[in-house]
Amino acid sequence: MFLAQQRHYSQQNKGKDSRNMETASTKAGVLSLLSLLEVQARSRRTQPQQQSRVKELKAKIEALKVQKQQLEAEIETHQNLQKLRSSLDKQCADEEDVEMEEVSENSQLLRLMARHTQLKDLLHAHHLIGGYDVIKTRQGKGVCVSLATAYEGVYLDTYNLEIDLKPTVKISRHNIPPFIPVNGLAEENDMQVNMRAFLDALSQHLNAFAGRKQQLKLLKEQHKSVEVMESNVLCSILVLMFKVPRAKTAVLCTLDYTDHSRCLPTRVHFECEDKQLSDSDQWKKNHSLLMETPVHKALTAMKNMGDIV
Amino acid sequence: MSEENMEEVQMLEAQIEHLQAEVEALQRQQQSNQKDITFQFRGQMQDAIASLCGRGPGGEKERVLSSLKEEVEEMEEDLRRQAQMNGISLNGCNARTLRSSGSKVVQQLCLSGRCSELDFQVEFKLSEVKEGQKSQRTISDLNVVLDSNDLENFSSFVSSVEESCDLLLFFRTLRTFTDRCDDRNRTFQHFQQKYPSIVSLPGGCRSGVMALNHAELSGCVLLVRWSVDVSTEGGVSPNIEVLTKIPDQALKLFPSWPFGGAAEAFQSLLRILGVEGAVESIILILQQEV
Repeated sequence: MFLAQQRHYSQQNKGKDSRNMETASTKAGVLSLLSLLEVQARSRRTQPQQQSRVKELKAKIEALKVQKQQLEAEIETHQNLQKLRSSLDKQCADEEDVEMEEVSENSQLLRLMARHTQLKDLLHAHHLIGGYDVIKTRQGKGVCVSLATAYEGVYLDTYNLEIDLKPTVKISRHNIPPFIPVNGLAEENDMQVNMRAFLDALSQHLNAFAGRKQQLKLLKEQHKSVEVMESNVLCSILVLMFKVPRAKTAVLCTLDYTDHSRCLPTRVHFECEDKQLSDSDQWKKNHSLLMETPVHKALTAMKNMGDIV
Repeated sequence: MSEENMEEVQMLEAQIEHLQAEVEALQRQQQSNQKDITFQFRGQMQDAIASLCGRGPGGEKERVLSSLKEEVEEMEEDLRRQAQMNGISLNGCNARTLRSSGSKVVQQLCLSGRCSELDFQVEFKLSEVKEGQKSQRTISDLNVVLDSNDLENFSSFVSSVEESCDLLLFFRTLRTFTDRCDDRNRTFQHFQQKYPSIVSLPGGCRSGVMALNHAELSGCVLLVRWSVDVSTEGGVSPNIEVLTKIPDQALKLFPSWPFGGAAEAFQSLLRILGVEGAVESIILILQQEV
C-alpha cells in the first residue's frame, strides 16, 4: 500500500520541482521506517515468552539432574552396603576377625551400617527359632522373657513372663493361662539357680498345649463329620464320635493326654456296640495310628482307608 | 531469532525427556532394592543413609556416626544376652526376600550356629501374611544339617522335624539333647579324674561308654553305657545301663561275686541313688581288694 501511495505521491509531484521530489521520498522513507518498527514491535512481544520458557526448561533440567544424582548416590550406597555385608558374613562364617582397614568417615559409617544389618538379622533369627527375647527391666533388677509357641510350622500364641532378679528371683507377672503350672515348674526346675531349665520346661508345656489346641482346631476344620463330644481348656482330654460306613454303628473314641508336656495321647480307647469291630485288626491299627500321629492327620488316614466317614 | 529459540526449546525438551527416563529407571531400581527387608531402614540407619547420600545438613556426619555406634554396641550386648539365655549361639543369618507384595512377604533364610559343641545349619522359607491387625507366620521347606558324626539316635528325629517344619521343636530338642550329653560328659570326666586307675574312656567322652576295670583282676570289665535317645516327637531320654565283660575263668574262681546280676542291681541303684551315686557305688566295689 505504501508503494502505491509512494507512486501516487511521486506521480502527483511529477510536475513539481526537486523540493517536492524530496518530500515524496522522505515520506516514502518514513512509511517504510514505520513498517519496520511495526515488525520489530511484533517480534518483541513474542520474544519474552520464549525466553521465560527457556528459563523454565533449564530450571527443570537442573532439578532432574539433582534428582538423578541423589538416586545414583542412594543406589551406589546400597550396593556398597550389600558388598560389605556379604564380606562381613563371610568373615564371620570363617571366624576371621573383622578388620578395620580404611579409616575415612564414610567407610567407617558404611561398615557400621553393614554390621547393624547383620546384628538385626541375627537378633531376628534368635526370635524366629523360639528364643526367649530376654529384655532387662527396672535397671537390671528384672527381666522380661517371651515364650513363643508353634506347631507344624505355624507360629501360634506368645506368652510373657516378668521375673524379678533382685532382691530374690521370683516371678512377678505373666499372662500364662492358669491351667499351666508355672509356679510348680519353677520349683521343680530350681528357677533361682537354673533359669534356663525352668524356661525350657515351661516352653515345653506351653508348646505341647499349643500343639494339642491346634490339633483340635484343625480336626474341627478338616473333619466336620467327626463329632467332638468332649474337650477341655487344657486340651488334655478329647472324646470323639466316629461314624463307621456300611455298619450302622458309631465308635466313641477317648484320647487322654495325661502327659501335659506332650502333644500325643498317652491313652486311646474305643467304645463300640459292635465288639468285633473294636477288636478287629483294622481298628487295632487305628489305635496305634491315634497314639503315634497327630489326631487330625490320623483321622485323614482313617478316612482314606474307609474306616470312618 | 525466534527460530533459534525454537531450536533451543526443542533441544531442552528432548534433554528433559531423556533425563526423566533415566530418573524413572533409577526409581524402579531403588524400589526393587527396597523390597529386600534387610535393607529397609528406620531410625538411626535412615539418618545414616541420608548423611552418606549428602542429604541433610553438613557436619551431621560425626553425630550420625556416634549415634549409630552407640546403637550397634547396644545390639551387640543384646545379642550376647540372647545367646546366653537361649543356650544357642548364632553366627550367621542370611535372608533373601523372595516375594514382597502388599499383604504377603516370603523370605528364604539360612541360619548357622552352634549349640554347646554341635554346629548346625538350618534353611527354611518364612511366609508372613497380614490379615487386618493380625499377621500369621508360617515356616516351610525346612532343611537341617548337623555337623557331627555320632548322631544316629538324632537323625530320625531330624527327618520327622523337617517334615513337620517344626523349627521351634528342633531347637528346643537340640538344646535339651546337648544338655543331657553335656551332663554325661561331665560325669564321665569327673569319675575318670577321681578314679584314674579304674575308670577309662575307651572311645572318649562322646562315645557314651565308660569302662570300669577291676583294680586287680584284669580282663574283668564293667561297661557303663550311657546313651541319650531322642524320639521322633522330640522327647529326650538318657538311658544308662551296665554291661559286664567277665572271663569265664573269673566267674568260676569267684562264684559268690554278683557279676551275673550286675545289670539289674545297677538299675536298682540308679533308681535309689541317681546316676552319680550308682556309678560311685560300683567303683567302690571294684576298688575292694580281692
